[in-house]
Amino acid sequence: MNKAPKIVLLLVGLAILTTLPIFLSPNLVNAVIKMMIAALFALAFTLAMGQAGMLSFGHAAYYGVGAFAALHLMRAVEMKLFFFPTPLIPLAGAAIGFLVGIVFGWLATQRIGVYFAMVTLALAELLFTLAPTWNSVFGGESGISTMRAPSWGLSFGHDIHVYYLTLAWFVISAWCMWAFTKTPLGRLALALRDNEHRARFLGFNTHVARTLIFAISCLFTGVAGALLAIANEATNYTIFSAQASANVVLQTFIGGAGTFFGPALGAATMTFFARVTSDLTRSWLLYQGLIFVLVMLFAPEGLGGIVSLHARKLRAAGLRHLVLPYLLCFVVALLLIAGVVFAVESIHVVMTDAYFAKRIAAKGAWVPYQLFGRSFEPLWPGTWAIPIALLSTGALLLPMARRLTASAWLVAIQESLPVAGAAAEATTRQEATA
Amino acid sequence: MSSRAKSTAALSSTPRGAPSDSVLELRGLTKSFGETQIIRGVDLTVKRYQRHGLIGPNGAGKSTLFNLISGQYVPTSGEIRLNGEPIAGLSPHVINRRGLSRSFQITNVFPRMSVAENLRTSIMGRHGHRLTVFRPVRSLKSVNDEVDEFIEKLRLGRRRNDLAGDLAYSEQRILEMGMSLATDPAVLILDEPTAGMSREEARYIVELIRQVTEERTLLVVEHDMSVVFTLCDQVSVLVYGVIIASGEPATVRADKKVQEAYLGEEVL
Amino acid sequence: MEYIIVSILNGVVHGLLLFMVSAGLTLIFGMMGVLNFAHAWFYMLGAYVGFTLTRLGGFWIGLLLAPIIAGLAGVLVERYLLRRVHHYGHAHELLLTFGLAFIIEEVIKLFYGDALVNYQMPDYMRFAAFTVFETNYPFYRLFMGAVALGMFAILYLLLTRTRVGIIVRAATYRPSTVEALGHNLPLVFMGIFAGGSALAGLAGAVAGAFYPTGPNMAVDFGTLVFVVVVVGGLGSVVGALIASLMIGLFISFSVGLNISIADFLGLFGLGEWATEIGGLFTLQLSTIANSMPFLLMLLVLLMRPAGLMGDRQ
Repeated sequence: MNKAPKIVLLLVGLAILTTLPIFLSPNLVNAVIKMMIAALFALAFTLAMGQAGMLSFGHAAYYGVGAFAALHLMRAVEMKLFFFPTPLIPLAGAAIGFLVGIVFGWLATQRIGVYFAMVTLALAELLFTLAPTWNSVFGGESGISTMRAPSWGLSFGHDIHVYYLTLAWFVISAWCMWAFTKTPLGRLALALRDNEHRARFLGFNTHVARTLIFAISCLFTGVAGALLAIANEATNYTIFSAQASANVVLQTFIGGAGTFFGPALGAATMTFFARVTSDLTRSWLLYQGLIFVLVMLFAPEGLGGIVSLHARKLRAAGLRHLVLPYLLCFVVALLLIAGVVFAVESIHVVMTDAYFAKRIAAKGAWVPYQLFGRSFEPLWPGTWAIPIALLSTGALLLPMARRLTASAWLVAIQESLPVAGAAAEATTRQEATA
Repeated sequence: MSSRAKSTAALSSTPRGAPSDSVLELRGLTKSFGETQIIRGVDLTVKRYQRHGLIGPNGAGKSTLFNLISGQYVPTSGEIRLNGEPIAGLSPHVINRRGLSRSFQITNVFPRMSVAENLRTSIMGRHGHRLTVFRPVRSLKSVNDEVDEFIEKLRLGRRRNDLAGDLAYSEQRILEMGMSLATDPAVLILDEPTAGMSREEARYIVELIRQVTEERTLLVVEHDMSVVFTLCDQVSVLVYGVIIASGEPATVRADKKVQEAYLGEEVL
Repeated sequence: MEYIIVSILNGVVHGLLLFMVSAGLTLIFGMMGVLNFAHAWFYMLGAYVGFTLTRLGGFWIGLLLAPIIAGLAGVLVERYLLRRVHHYGHAHELLLTFGLAFIIEEVIKLFYGDALVNYQMPDYMRFAAFTVFETNYPFYRLFMGAVALGMFAILYLLLTRTRVGIIVRAATYRPSTVEALGHNLPLVFMGIFAGGSALAGLAGAVAGAFYPTGPNMAVDFGTLVFVVVVVGGLGSVVGALIASLMIGLFISFSVGLNISIADFLGLFGLGEWATEIGGLFTLQLSTIANSMPFLLMLLVLLMRPAGLMGDRQ
């Protein structure tokens, strides 16, 4: 009964993705390609993390080797060494990702928990420091670049071709990963996350199992990397950076590692915002970090978890009670965000070299700075008042917003339960006021 | 005395020496943690199809002994033989595959999976599906049939799809034991299966244990003496890391050394 | 010979600095089960504090203020962030500190820019302490080593000779007993966290004046610290010391050695063959000096998965 709406949602999503390129500019088509790749990366990461409890801080390693594998294959095709159809290039990423995943995974899964995380980070750093020096494989500091070759009647010169290639691989990979959760190994992954110790006493060689699961995650990560290489036609050693590994972690948990599609949504959304704000601010990473910390503190299930919570606990009847409180919450959020953004962007502008040059020209005086198309005086109390007013208003309204939301939830849940079981109510009450 | 106990007694009175008789043997087993020696030279023989109880005061080292047998710890010295083969220091999963399965004193299930899934995890390994990737678990008919059988046997049918973490305490203990059992071991070692249970629940569990160990060897640690003396054909007493007595329940109960070890406890 | 002596000195100093930061991390992890991912970012914070105050005219004030500010940051993190998510488990705490590290780095970049900053030691410290054969050995390196050793001496005395120290040591073994005896356990933990963070901050302020100070320093140094903890073993301070020194020495020896696998194979007459293959075989040790700690970690993991001082169980 629960499945029908989910399938409908999936089909609608697929339909949208398939028809999107018709409506979008080439720049936006490229953006959606990158969003799909990020989403695939996040899904693959979650296979190891959300399912088997293996938190990897160095997943960019497999992303990168997938990319380089694809590029080498494309180079070989470009130099007419042999023919290989472009649409199948991601297979190279999958194969190499899997192999490296087996080797690195074998080493890393000898430890669990935080040790595992640190080992994965160190392995990624190993590649990051080694790659710039190993010219033949990684192209040194400048990396490798190549061109997409025509295949199967398509030139692959247009972004649209790349878009559908990426979409096809995204759908296939996502389906494979979903199917994996239904296989014996996929179920074992859940058991290992719950209680790895116990599994050993039930006859499972948990080291081998975890290595295999990790390698499968790396397989799909490699596919994502290969797709990136195909889209960009180039890459270099910076793909192995700690930044790239950190990004997928942050995006996954913002989206919510507990649901299947949460990470994909988180990654797509964050990637989208990164692109959209790249002209407006240099501090997007700071905002992403803040969002992550706030999610970790106040919404540990992630945004996907929040959506899932609503879907699980509420029926349409109860939703109307939440409209007003959510409106208030939205206002509070807007105020707080505006305050933070104003402060951060102001600091940024004041710290740039351009501003410093202006100050030198004015003999050290604190000249007005430009922000959002207007002029602000740095030393004038009015300027400081803006973020302070925004933040304090938001902070003042916050407790009220929380109280209203909590009580509205109680009413909404009561209206949503067909027959109020005492135990069920008690748990939902706990959850609503948490 | 039950007829089964009589036949086991008859077996134990035959001359020792027939190696196929002992399914689990500990010889001169010691275990130290740094300076502290917990197990100080344990000799123990468990014969095939025996129900063997292990008792002793708190801190005697019973859990440590189980950890040594099941592969969690490596002995400092000494031997452990399962069906004549040495198993000391082997990994837990290897020992399990050789036919020895243990349960835990503190319930050790997969809390976020359903009861059926917990059992399926234990069972699918035996059917060769430890690392299977290309078939959905739904399609494994023999595995799923066995899961149903076990749920029947453990009488957890009502709780089949409930999360293991949501079960009542005694139900969790039953599941815990059921998981160890589901690996179809020749030797089952249970660590305080009735801990924390009421008289009623304990009675139920003991009956269950009796049934499921008809064709198996059992080694059980217990504090509840009535359980030990009604269930077991043979009892060994572990005190300060050494076995001070081993034999039929009545004999052990009358042993002076044993009574001294339990001095002050009302249980005997 | 000169090369060996200089490399040993450099390696030991680098190792001691590494130990200063790793010891705090290992201690906190051993006692509280929490891995503070942001630990190396307190190191970075200390460096930037040192830089700012030196620019304003006070290098020594910078050295004084850096540990204080880092310690304060540690207190705030423990009190207001970690305690909130404690009940979600260790993985969650790790993730939270992970995000925090990110934020610290971005905020520092916001104020100080993306590039390296010119954090220099005062001019009067810029001289050679002594000469080893032909090389002038810089005084500042010895200064760094001296600060590290001084910190250990103080720490050791504090932990073994004072009442506070006894309470802290007891809390590492039996926290609930210590609490039952009437001591304020949360305060002890907060103090340990603050102390470890302060140590990292001081290390940053001291090292930042010598090594490059920039936005990447935390990631670079931090990964080394994690390698130390992995190699050194489960919460073992002695293990951290050994691992730190090993890594410090490894790096300093590799930096100056322009040899490759091909050169090594040349000893067996296979030099030309190896050079023709190229690639990995002609890679010089000095170029991959940065990768040495990770290769060391791989080696240790292969031979002793639990680390040098870890237990098999």
